[in-house]
Amino acid sequence: MRYHKSVPYLFILPMLLGLILFRFGPILGSFLISFTEWRGTRLPTFIGLANYTEILGSDIFWEVLVNTLIFALLFVPGTMLLGLVLALLANQKLRGIAFFRGVYYLPAITSMVAVALVWNWIFASRFGILNFVLRSYLGITDPPRWLSDSDTALYVLVIVSIWKSAGLPMLVYLAGLKGIPQVLYESARIDGASGWQMFRHITLPVLTPVTFFILIITLFDAFGTFEVTFAMTQGGPLNASTTLPFYIYQNSFQFARYGYASALAYVLMIVVIILTVFNFRIRTRWVQQELF
Amino acid sequence: MTTQLPVPNQPTRDFVPQVSRVISLISRYGLLLFVAFLMAFPFIWMVLTTFKSPSYLFAIPPTFFPDKVFEEGATWASIFSSYVPLFTEHNFILYTRNSFVVAFLAAIGQLFTSSLAGFAFARLQFWGSRALFGILLATALVPIEVTIIPEFLLAITVFDPIFEFFGTKWIDSLLPLIVPSFFVGTTGTFLLREFFSQIPRELEEAAIIDGASVFGIYRYIYLPLSMPAMVTLFLLAFISNWNALLRAVIYVKSAEIRTLPIGLMAFQDEYTAQWDLLLSGSVVTIAPLIIVYIFMQRYIVEGIATTGLKG
Repeated sequence: MRYHKSVPYLFILPMLLGLILFRFGPILGSFLISFTEWRGTRLPTFIGLANYTEILGSDIFWEVLVNTLIFALLFVPGTMLLGLVLALLANQKLRGIAFFRGVYYLPAITSMVAVALVWNWIFASRFGILNFVLRSYLGITDPPRWLSDSDTALYVLVIVSIWKSAGLPMLVYLAGLKGIPQVLYESARIDGASGWQMFRHITLPVLTPVTFFILIITLFDAFGTFEVTFAMTQGGPLNASTTLPFYIYQNSFQFARYGYASALAYVLMIVVIILTVFNFRIRTRWVQQELF
Repeated sequence: MTTQLPVPNQPTRDFVPQVSRVISLISRYGLLLFVAFLMAFPFIWMVLTTFKSPSYLFAIPPTFFPDKVFEEGATWASIFSSYVPLFTEHNFILYTRNSFVVAFLAAIGQLFTSSLAGFAFARLQFWGSRALFGILLATALVPIEVTIIPEFLLAITVFDPIFEFFGTKWIDSLLPLIVPSFFVGTTGTFLLREFFSQIPRELEEAAIIDGASVFGIYRYIYLPLSMPAMVTLFLLAFISNWNALLRAVIYVKSAEIRTLPIGLMAFQDEYTAQWDLLLSGSVVTIAPLIIVYIFMQRYIVEGIATTGLKG
C-alpha cells in the first residue's frame, strides 16, 4: 500500500484521543493529586507525602489491604480451577454440549446488581436457602451468619465472585484444549496411560501457556471487586469485606477525599504491578512453551 | 482345509458394551446437568420466584413452585403481576432504554476505534508504532480506580462547564457513560490487530491495482473479513457496558438518566420489602442480555477460540 506518512496517525487518532483523555492524562493526574489534600469542592493544597504516610499509619488501610490480598489469594486459584473444570466438562463431544457451555458462561454476562439480590437471599441468615439446608439436612443448628458476620462476609464475596468470573477462563481453556494435538493422547493410550495420567502429563503441561494467560487476566479481575462489594455488602460489616478498590471508591466518592484516594489508588496499582511482574518473572519456571 | 465357520451372533458380548456406554452417557449428562444446576441455580430461583404469590416468598422451607402460573383463574396479567408494575408505575422502560443506548453506542464506538487502530498496528508502518503498542498494553495494567478520580474531576471542572455553556449537561447525562468506552479499546485493538495480521496480504494487491486507498482497503477488505471477530467484540463490549456499575454510580444523579443496574439499586433501596418486585427487576435487568447472548452464542465462543490464540 502507498500512503502518506500521516495516514496511520489518522487511523489511530480516536484511540490516541481516548488514551490521552482517559488514560495517560488521568494516570498523571492521579499521581499529582496524590500529593495534595483535596476535599470536596475546596481547592487542592500541596502536602507532599503526607497522604502516603497517613496510609502507612492507618489501621483501616492495613485491614483493607489484608482483605484484598486474602480475596486475591482465594479468588485467583478458585476461578482458574473452576474455569478448567468447566472447560473439561464442556469439551466433551456430546449432543447439546453447546447448551451447557452457554449455561456455564451465563453468570459472566449478568449484572452484578441483579444477581446480588439473589445471593443476598441465598446467604440470608434466617430465611436463606443455604442455612435452611445446613440446618435441616446437615444438622448444623447454628450456621454462620454469612453476610452479617465480619468473619465470613469477605468469603461470601469470594464465592460469588468465583461463580461469576469462571466463565471467561472456561472459554479460554476451551480454546486451549481444542488446540492440543490428539496424537499425543493416542500414543499415550497405546502406551497404556490412564485418563488421569494423560491429564497430568499431557493436558496440563501443554496448557501451561494458556494457564499463564488466564492467570494474568484473573489476577486483574481479582482487583475489580468494586461491583460485588458495592452490590452486596457496601464493605461491611465494619470494613470486614472492604477491599482496596472499594475503599478507594469510598474515599473518593463518599468522603470526597480526592488526594488521599488518589494515593490509595497508586498503592493499588503498585500492588497489581508487583504481582504481575512477579508472575512474569517466574513464568519460565513452569510454562512449557511459547503461545504466540 | 480351513473353512470360515460363520460366527454366530454373540449377543452377550455385544450387550455389555452397550450397557456400559449408556451408563457412561447418563453419568456424563448427569454431571453436566448437576454442574449446570449449580451455576444456574440463582437464575432459576429468581425466575421461579417471580411467578409465586407473595405469601410464598419467604416460606420456610423455601418452595420452588411457581404457583401463580397454575392457580385457578390465572390470566397473563396475574401471572406477570410482579413484572407489570415495573413498567407501568416505575421507570423500568426508561432504565432499559438508557442501558440500551449506553451499551449500543459504547460498543459501536469501541468497534470503530479498535478496528481503525488495530488495522494501523497490523498493516501500516508509522513511527512509534511498536512503542505505542507496548504502551497500550501497559495501560491495561492500570486499575480503573487510578483513572476514574481525575476523569471525574475533569468532568466537573472542564466538560460540565463547556456543555452547560451550550445548554446541555455532561454529568447527569448518558455521555460520560458512553464516551470513555467509545474512545478506548485496549482489548479490542489487541484482538483485532491479531486478527488482521492473519489476513493474507495478497488480498490487498488486487485492490491496490484497482487504485484503492488505504481506507478503502480497510473498509472493503479487512472489515468484511473480520466480521466474526467484530461481532464478538461488539457483543462483549455491549454486555460489559450494559452491566457497568462504577461510572453509572458516579455520574448518574437524576432518575431519568439511570441505567438498569442503578435503577434496580434505587428501586431496591426504596422498596426493600417487596421482594417479588425486586426479583422481577433483577430478571428484567438480566433478560435482554440473555436474549442477545442466546442468539449470538456461537459468535462469542467461536470468536474467542479463533481470534485469541493461534494454533
